[in-house]
Amino acid sequence: MKWSQFFNTSIGKKLLVGITGLFLCSFIIVHLAGNVQLLYNDGGKGFNTYAAFMGHNSLIQFIAWGLKIVILLHAIVAIQLTFSNRKARPVKYAVSPGNQTSSWYSRQMAIMGSILFIFIVVHLSDFWWKFHYQSLPTVSYEATGEPIKDLYTVVQFAFKESWLVVLYVIGMIALSFHLIHGFKSAFQTFGLNHVKYNGLINFVGVWLFGILIPLGFAIIPVVIFFK
Amino acid sequence: MEHYNMGLTLKVWRQKNKDDQGRFETYQVKDISSEMSFLEMFDVLNENLINEGKEPIAFDHDCREGICGMCSMHINGRAHGPWAGTTTCQLHMRAFKDGDTVTVEPWRAAAFPVVKDLTVDRGAFDRIIEAGGYISVNTGNAVDANAIPIAKDKADAAFAAAACIGCGACVAACKNSSAMLFVSAKVSQLAQLPQGEPERATRALNMVAQMDKEGFGSCTNTGACEAECPKEISLTNIARLNREFIRAGFTYEK
Amino acid sequence: MLNAKIPAGPLEKRWEEYKGHVKLVNPANKRSLEVIIIGTGLAGASAAASLGELGYKVKAFCFQDSARRAHSIAAQGGINAAKNYQNDGDSVYRLFYDTVKGGDYRSRESNVHRLAEVSANIIDQCVAQGVPFAREYGGLLSNRSFGGTQVQRTFYAAGQTGQQLLLGAYSALERQVALGNVTLYTRHEMLDIVKIDGKARGIIARDLITGKLERHFGHAVLLASGGYGNVFFLSTNAMGSNVTAAWKATKKGAFFGNPCYTQIHPTCIPVSGEHQSKLTLMSESLRNDGRIWVPKKKDDNRKPADIPEEERDYYLERRYPAFGNLVPRDVASRAAKERCDAGYGVGSSKQAVYLDYAAAIVRYGKIEAGKRGEHNASPELIDKLGKEVVAEKYGNLFDMYAKITGENPYEVPMRIYPAVHYTMGGLWVDYELMTTVPGLYALGEANFSDHGANRLGASALMQGLADGYFVIPYTIGNYLADEIRTKAIPTDHPAFAEAEKQVQDTIDRFMNIKGTKSVDHFHKKLGKIMWDKCGMARNEKGLKEAIEEIIALRAEFWKDVRIPGSANEFNPELEKAGRVADFLELGELMCRDALNRRESCGGHFREESQTEEGEALRNDQEFDYVAAWEYKADGSYELHKEQLVFEECKPTQRSYK
Repeated sequence: MKWSQFFNTSIGKKLLVGITGLFLCSFIIVHLAGNVQLLYNDGGKGFNTYAAFMGHNSLIQFIAWGLKIVILLHAIVAIQLTFSNRKARPVKYAVSPGNQTSSWYSRQMAIMGSILFIFIVVHLSDFWWKFHYQSLPTVSYEATGEPIKDLYTVVQFAFKESWLVVLYVIGMIALSFHLIHGFKSAFQTFGLNHVKYNGLINFVGVWLFGILIPLGFAIIPVVIFFK
Repeated sequence: MEHYNMGLTLKVWRQKNKDDQGRFETYQVKDISSEMSFLEMFDVLNENLINEGKEPIAFDHDCREGICGMCSMHINGRAHGPWAGTTTCQLHMRAFKDGDTVTVEPWRAAAFPVVKDLTVDRGAFDRIIEAGGYISVNTGNAVDANAIPIAKDKADAAFAAAACIGCGACVAACKNSSAMLFVSAKVSQLAQLPQGEPERATRALNMVAQMDKEGFGSCTNTGACEAECPKEISLTNIARLNREFIRAGFTYEK
Repeated sequence: MLNAKIPAGPLEKRWEEYKGHVKLVNPANKRSLEVIIIGTGLAGASAAASLGELGYKVKAFCFQDSARRAHSIAAQGGINAAKNYQNDGDSVYRLFYDTVKGGDYRSRESNVHRLAEVSANIIDQCVAQGVPFAREYGGLLSNRSFGGTQVQRTFYAAGQTGQQLLLGAYSALERQVALGNVTLYTRHEMLDIVKIDGKARGIIARDLITGKLERHFGHAVLLASGGYGNVFFLSTNAMGSNVTAAWKATKKGAFFGNPCYTQIHPTCIPVSGEHQSKLTLMSESLRNDGRIWVPKKKDDNRKPADIPEEERDYYLERRYPAFGNLVPRDVASRAAKERCDAGYGVGSSKQAVYLDYAAAIVRYGKIEAGKRGEHNASPELIDKLGKEVVAEKYGNLFDMYAKITGENPYEVPMRIYPAVHYTMGGLWVDYELMTTVPGLYALGEANFSDHGANRLGASALMQGLADGYFVIPYTIGNYLADEIRTKAIPTDHPAFAEAEKQVQDTIDRFMNIKGTKSVDHFHKKLGKIMWDKCGMARNEKGLKEAIEEIIALRAEFWKDVRIPGSANEFNPELEKAGRVADFLELGELMCRDALNRRESCGGHFREESQTEEGEALRNDQEFDYVAAWEYKADGSYELHKEQLVFEECKPTQRSYK
């Protein structure tokens, strides 16, 4: 089977979704680690320094663009699969089993993913776009010397807007359910289902990616809002 | 076990043939014994319909002991009805109580077109097996059965996968109408046996390709198939199919 | 006298000799020879696959939606083979001997010996196909014993042996479909044989979805269409199992052998009420560990647990100490009926006996506790461990029982009663499996040949696969070698047109009756007559009554049956009507055969012929023949006899005491 054929099969596509998904999982760990600095009481020094470093390091810039491609790839392939899955059942059941045979969030990956996608667009246009392509107020710290963009203040300002905070919280709820299923689902798609490791995979999927990380992300706008 | 009689309201999908639109019809049945099987309740309904000069409901069934895989009703939103690990023919009316409304639909999948009423065409499954669900050994080619020992746990796992009856409940239960559990059961059975080794790569590649061609959806790992499978085929088989397919896709030279 | 064309020479050399001298067809000629196979069970699927592999052009037909659904799939217990893996003294000769004796000396020695010879190859073939038989920890195949034998020669895959074997044959068949050697016609029912110049040359089949009649040519036609147990309405057969293919062949000149030989299986779940549509078998393997009993007191209404040990009658162990609960099926069934008729039956219907696992649970529990070093294990632990072992061995059967009855068989003894299970009778075939119509063969349960008057457990799967994998591929060549000059006959030949017209006329007749009663109504009535008067015990008076009743019922059927819908669509009622019409004729012939055979043998028990102790009494002087019936006209049959010759197994009164 040629590569082009392989990645056009249902399992090949699932493999792409899984690989890209796990890559994105690894990204959000790093992303959260950086963003937690928004909660430091240092007037934004740590965060702004970090943002400036991330914004200027060319390797990281390369990865950042790759990241966007990965997000798009993840979304496009998943949408393709969703459409072919819909086509596989042209007539719906009058009575559905509800949650008797599967969890609701495992069935709603496309919805959760779509919410996340909207969230990501808003998120990028609010911060990433502004940071890179708009002129922002700058600050100078001793360590860095040159004045750097004060993204910290932009963030603090943005999260005074209640609708945005709500959107972020909703986005993170979607992320939570998307990952509770998605993380372990990726392993299943890779064929990694083994009694000795399933417990660990499940634990990491639920507690780290399903609860801890989305909670960490969601806390930031909420705390800023109420500060 | 206490026996009791019940009356039920049945909403049954009626469809004259594959081109017909189809619709639900409502029927009442009385004096249904809790000792009857679900299909025996349908026998009663059909007998009533014939006596009233109406057309009986067409439904697939044969062995009525849960092994041939022919029966196929979607009952109150559940493939093969509410009992776990049970085919429709083994579902007994103890599962219902007097006054219940029961909705009965055919398997719904593009790859399983309705033939009539509750009967669907599952020929796609045969074509998937044709694509590679076998070991190529002509009659008379075999060595002594004990020439190749097979570890008991492997043999047991192969058997557990081979228990699939090809009823299509996995497809019916899956929100994507995916046939992964069915395909994985066969691939998994043969992949775990030394006899299946020579065709391991082509089997996985060809059967999956045929599965896609038939118009089944993909697997999103919701687990509904495993929950509804009357033979309780495990999701680990799907993982093994993925593994076999990915391995073959990355390493097989052709 | 019928000639079975048995090869000359010593018994154990015949098959070898035959294979050495049989005519062969060269590969180029095979490609232009067409073979039609009806039925895709063990015999049909294995034959279709094997003939396809050889290069014949095969067309296989089944009425189900897939070849994998044939009723062989439901066989539970196992398949016999003379492998002697257990080193317990088994051999080809012993399997042969047990089968002839088990068949109560009414089977053909040469066929049975061949069956025993090829039995070992079957296991090899199936393992090579990936059939997951049960194995021991060392990785080698496991065996168990089965009713009627004293060696462990039964190979099994939990309680799903038939399923696994059939799926093996089915996958071999599908492989040939993919290779283009076999064309499969699912949801097609054969409705007549086409004969040209005295030879079988094709069939008329109905496409069950569109209702269209189709003509198919074949140089030879193989019927592997199973048994006719559904003549009793209630049986362990699948709802669709039918005699139609074999019966149409009978009406086209194939003789029907020993129709009265039916097997009543001792361990089935009892009837629960009028609504009952079929009976469910509990594998005979349950008798390996379960003990069968009834209360010693008549009409004892206590719960089984409340009946103390000394008030229980383990009647099989009492009557047959040597074999105990493992006596052959016919003996076990009659013994259950005897107890129930005498008023000792249990359950609400009183038509049941107990199959009790309490002792086995304790026995296994103690062994298991011993293995774990728990020498002073508590009764609770023993009970728990014992139940685990029983679940491992018989779990799926116990689950099935629980689902159907709503009772927990681990706690309460199962209630069982005999039910119609298998028909030893079938189309008469010679050594080559050919019927009396040249070019028409019968394989598996559809033929009469190997089980005599009673089939031993785990022998049906063996016979079906032997016929399909290892016998027909040789014997059909002997016929087809002379057919290589016969070009495929176009299906516009008058014989095809005539046969199709007859089928069409019958269908039209069905549709035009527009009576008042459903097909099932008549089927149930027929079943009751058959069960009451041609069932586990038969007598002259009853059989004569049955014949009259069946004739009357048949007349009523053709006047008053109602078939809704139309003939040119998917119409299950029309399918059933055709099958029941044939059962209504076969039932009469079964009674006539039973009436003719004024002896008891195997599954055929004539009340007039029994020992003082109530055991079946054969009459070898008068009846050591195969009764092969030739259809003359409706209700008129001529008896032909094939004398059975016993060179190795001298008929003796069977004793399992």
